[in-house]
Amino acid sequence: MIKRLSPLASHPRYWLSGSPRGLGGGARQVGPVTYGERRRSSCAARAVEVTKIYGSGETAVRAVDGVSIEFERARFTAVMGPSGSGKSTLMHCMAGLDAPTSGHTFIGDEELGLLNDTRLTDLRRDRIGFVFQSFNLVPTLTAAENITLPADLVGSTVDRDWLNYLVSNLGIADRLSHRPSELSGGQQQRVACARALVRRPELIFADEPTGNLDSNASTGVLTFLRQAVRDHGHAVVMVTHDPKAAAYAERVVFLADGRIVGELLAPTSDAVLEQMKRLGA
Amino acid sequence: MRKVTIRGLLARKLRLALTALAIVLGVMFVTGTLVLGDTLNRTFDALVGTAYGKISFEIRGTAAFSKASAYSGTDRNPIPAALATAVSRLPGVAYVHGDVSGYAQFVDRQGSAIGSGTGNTLGLSFDPNRQLSSYRLVEGRAPTAPDNVVMDKATATKHHFAIGDRVRVLLPGGARTFTISGIVTFGGDDNLLGITLAGFDQRTAQALFGLRRHYDTIEVLAAPRADSVRLRLAIEKLLPRGVEVVSGRTVINEATSAISNALSFISTTLLIFALISLFIGGFTIFNTFTITIGQRTRELALLRVVGANRRQVFGSVLGEAALTGLLASLIGLGLGVVAALGLKALLKAFGVLLPSAPLVFEARTPAVALAMGVGVTVLSAVLPARRAVRIAPVAALADHTQDGPQSLRRRRVSAGSAVAIAGLGALLAGLTEASILVVGIGALALFVAGGMLVPLVARPLSSALGRPLAALLGAPGRLGRRNSTRNPMRTAQTGAALMIGLALVSMIAVLGNSLATSAKHNVDSAVAADYLVTGSDAFSSSVPAIISRLPGAVATTTVYKGQFEFRGSLSTIAAASVAGLPKTVNLHLTAGRGAPTMAAGQLLVDQNTANTNHLHVGSVVAVKFAQTGEATMRIGGIYAYNPLVGSFITGTGFFLSHFNNPLPNAVLVSTASGTRGFETTLNRALAAYPNLNIQSRAQFEQAQQNSINQLLGLIYVLLALAVLIALIGIVNTLLLSVFERTREIGLLRAVGMRRRQVREMIRSESVIVAVFGAVIGIVVGTGLGAAAASSLRHSSVTTVAIPVPSLIAFLILAAVLGLIAATWPARRAANLDVLRAIATE
Repeated sequence: MIKRLSPLASHPRYWLSGSPRGLGGGARQVGPVTYGERRRSSCAARAVEVTKIYGSGETAVRAVDGVSIEFERARFTAVMGPSGSGKSTLMHCMAGLDAPTSGHTFIGDEELGLLNDTRLTDLRRDRIGFVFQSFNLVPTLTAAENITLPADLVGSTVDRDWLNYLVSNLGIADRLSHRPSELSGGQQQRVACARALVRRPELIFADEPTGNLDSNASTGVLTFLRQAVRDHGHAVVMVTHDPKAAAYAERVVFLADGRIVGELLAPTSDAVLEQMKRLGA
Repeated sequence: MRKVTIRGLLARKLRLALTALAIVLGVMFVTGTLVLGDTLNRTFDALVGTAYGKISFEIRGTAAFSKASAYSGTDRNPIPAALATAVSRLPGVAYVHGDVSGYAQFVDRQGSAIGSGTGNTLGLSFDPNRQLSSYRLVEGRAPTAPDNVVMDKATATKHHFAIGDRVRVLLPGGARTFTISGIVTFGGDDNLLGITLAGFDQRTAQALFGLRRHYDTIEVLAAPRADSVRLRLAIEKLLPRGVEVVSGRTVINEATSAISNALSFISTTLLIFALISLFIGGFTIFNTFTITIGQRTRELALLRVVGANRRQVFGSVLGEAALTGLLASLIGLGLGVVAALGLKALLKAFGVLLPSAPLVFEARTPAVALAMGVGVTVLSAVLPARRAVRIAPVAALADHTQDGPQSLRRRRVSAGSAVAIAGLGALLAGLTEASILVVGIGALALFVAGGMLVPLVARPLSSALGRPLAALLGAPGRLGRRNSTRNPMRTAQTGAALMIGLALVSMIAVLGNSLATSAKHNVDSAVAADYLVTGSDAFSSSVPAIISRLPGAVATTTVYKGQFEFRGSLSTIAAASVAGLPKTVNLHLTAGRGAPTMAAGQLLVDQNTANTNHLHVGSVVAVKFAQTGEATMRIGGIYAYNPLVGSFITGTGFFLSHFNNPLPNAVLVSTASGTRGFETTLNRALAAYPNLNIQSRAQFEQAQQNSINQLLGLIYVLLALAVLIALIGIVNTLLLSVFERTREIGLLRAVGMRRRQVREMIRSESVIVAVFGAVIGIVVGTGLGAAAASSLRHSSVTTVAIPVPSLIAFLILAAVLGLIAATWPARRAANLDVLRAIATE
């Protein structure tokens, strides 16, 4: 794939087109696009000149500093960087969990900054899957209930076949009636993966999904995420600082001091490690 | 990290404030009660001082009854007027006044009686001499002619009377018209505590109140520098048997102690409700400390790791409690003074004219209030502090657990069951013995057992209660339901405060409804008359004759009531004319005969009195009357309890020979069947007596129920504060839970829970907890109320009636209150920062 770090000088309103729905099944809608049709087609999430500043005055910290990036559909992207590089902040802004100080973020064609809290919440529920490093599951709900939670919140049902496929593929079919406290760390992360995928969202954000896992459990989760991309066409964006985890991705974006400082396609863990070392040096 | 610390501190400050609020309200109630009580006491003492302060000696009849209220004076015989003349001639006597008082009630220009209720009207012999009297003529002149009257300034102002106006006055002998000769004040006030005053000249007063050549009391003013001991001896030499002389000081002391006895009943009642509020406040504190100790496990364990010993940890928790209690008590103390002011204003609004005295703040008030506030707080924190002590240092390293230990379960079950069985046993024993004390002990034991066993049913019950909510609200309702069951101990303790409040409310409701229903039933079975004529105070003895002459009246019965001593204890005896009795009063005789024995001057007693005194027909009992002294009476019959008559009844002939000029208490009228318009006839015939209360039997029944319902309303208001404190407890627990579940709520928001859904989730939990407490409270309260009602079945309660609509209303109210309690916690939860959930620690 070609790098799409386009100049994006035009006004962001040009991209506000079409309905957010119906993007998953490959349906193509053409809105009153003036800039170019390619904008709305192949990217699942996009950031334009996003800056996030914490604090003010002398103590202000630029966690993200004018980042523009696109995450393509059906692609497994890893975001890497040393701690404090702003990778998590960028992800939070792009997933609609945090609001950037300036710049624009999009899920599909939907500009997040223009949505009120309820619509933003609905968008997260319907179009994004989340896997966090820890505390992924609601302790009062069983594994099965945790998986169907996004669907329950909107009062809809889930595709049973798809659910069965996910849980058997993840090896948690026999753990569904258990509470999170009765599950191992790896099992908990796999339940979170199932929840992230069960409604077939356009995009899955995974924030250090293997950060608390041993290597065996990590392999299971990462393999599953890669499979989701390859077999089912999901877009996965994973924030990590582990080169071995990043090697599962098809594309690795490197962040340092809130800026994008490099990129690797078809990475190996050695190549990633090499790049990280250069960043650290 | 700093942000987290500041947020944590803020949350703790908030928690502190809410915990304190429960204590603030309780202490406020206690302080308000104490201050009001002291103020009323001081006010009445001042009034007594004004009224009797100048008297050197009072000469009066000796009290006939050993236990009679010294202040009422009903058991003292009048004394001969000649005594006053003799005393006035003694050396050292400056002035003597013979006092006569009795029933006198003004009628306003529209024909309505002014002032209602017992003791709100007063007629007396006006003493124009200012040496003794506290009444001051501010306008006109003292009454000198038989048709002169002086009126208190408050009544004159309110009803627009002026000097020279004609005014009708209701008197024991009937109504008469007088000319207002003067307007008086009592000391500096327009009248004496709202009591209307009609002052006559002495001779007129004697005639009007049936005391020819007699006085009620003689008041003596000693000359300056007179030897009071010698004077008293000189007076005593003049006194016949049955007359005594006491110093002015004694009169003041008797009056003061009688008033403070009456007031202490009010204060004690209010104090009981204040203590209930504090008790429930204690639950809130216990709960808060338990939860926060759980949340601070790591912090406390860390303290242990760095070397704090168990005693220091215990001390730090209790110290925090003591500080919270002290702060809250101080605020409550301040607000209590305001509450007392409010109560005083309320009394004024209800027509009780309190002299403008400043609030009295005794040194005891802050001492008691602070001791109670701090005591309850510290006591409630003892158990949580012990839990804090048990935290092992290693807990600092472990991942903190949110749910408290679930141990002690078996011990709790066995101990709780033991207490419950004991309580139930006491309750049953009390019911068979019909003893309210044993029933009370049983009830208390059941309360305690309930508190111990409630956590066991918390999970299944709140789960069941939450089912409809989960069905109605979907995922948020389901999550709320799960949250209410995740920590049964917490749910139980939070609900327990509301449980106690609602148990008391339901108990009162059941008891009150049973009383009201029984009252109706009792009146139904006791009264055969179609109309009842009663007076708010007393009424003219000419009334019965007027009624009996009315066309359509088949039978009229005049009922008198008076005090006497029955086997040494003060009781009320009724008397009724025998002729019309069977048609007006249903005396269900269980032994002996009714009318003939009454006519013969024998005594009829009710079954309960007969049982407790082991009396049967033909027994002879010792009695004592104020006017005639000791006597014996033969029991002529025994009847089932009759609320109209009371426990003792005899014939009018006997009664009238033992009481001086008694006034009728009620006149019962039966009409011929098919008589129409009798009520109009009755009203027209008695138009001259606007103080009379003319009621049909149905109206009389209704009035009985109304007075019970009025009392119920008052108790509900007093319990409302306790319920409010229980609600604060729910708010507090929810806020703490929200704080504790910050990450979880953030996660829910991240994966797509809307703010509205978060609010619904918190509200569901709140409603479940509130309804949980309410259900148990209502069930327990209904049981206790039914038990208490049936323990009274030998006296006034004949039917145990459970007010189902009221109980359902309480349940709905509890749900609504739960919804309200959730408002703030729900808003906080909905506005939580999503990022905080996923930000790593």
